[in-house]
Amino acid sequence: MVYITSWDDFVERSVLLFRAHPDKTRYVMKYRNCDGKLVLKVTDDKECLKFKTDQAQDAKKMEKLNNIFFTLMARGPEVDFNEVAGKEQAEAQPAKKGRGRKQ
Amino acid sequence: MGRLQLDPFLNELTSMFERNTEQGSVWVTLKRSSDKSKAQLNKLASKGEAIEYKCLVRASDGKKNISTLVGAKDHQRFQASYATILKARMTALKKRERKDKRKSTEVDKKQGGVSKKSNAKKA
Repeated sequence: MVYITSWDDFVERSVLLFRAHPDKTRYVMKYRNCDGKLVLKVTDDKECLKFKTDQAQDAKKMEKLNNIFFTLMARGPEVDFNEVAGKEQAEAQPAKKGRGRKQ
Repeated sequence: MGRLQLDPFLNELTSMFERNTEQGSVWVTLKRSSDKSKAQLNKLASKGEAIEYKCLVRASDGKKNISTLVGAKDHQRFQASYATILKARMTALKKRERKDKRKSTEVDKKQGGVSKKSNAKKA
């Protein structure tokens, strides 16, 4: 199986694969608590990319990748996910200002 | 095959993780879907209407299957809840303990060595 060692490489290629075949690409996650192992797979049934880990830090990175995929799948493959990140930041900023004024 | 609403799906997913703590795996699959048959898709495409896509989320523990469809409106909320569940459940993964650095500082104190590297080699 094609296991990729670099996380960033895995993310980049997964997104490319999804954008190329949005209808066929699926993202699979397998978690085994007893072994403490996490395996991620992105495939369009022709090409397959996998990533495995036992590190807690990779779980955090995987969360970001989950967000990317949710956005891509729900809104469409053309979505630039920096937009989504930008929106979240915009929401956070007024909240901080509000706290300052209350004090 | 259990097709559930968003919140029941999240609850089932949580219990799935709980049940499979000592043994077994939990599989979660994400895929884009429009929840329409091919015939309907062809009709819509020929009319020139935009097809609304959703995200199909499936979860399995090898015995039980559950699934749900997440639309663009719900995806932010679902994504937040899903992340919370994963964070809470993925406790068995190793945390990065900086044992190497600690050992080298302890050796430094004992030997009063010049460089950390040479001490590490000695150790």
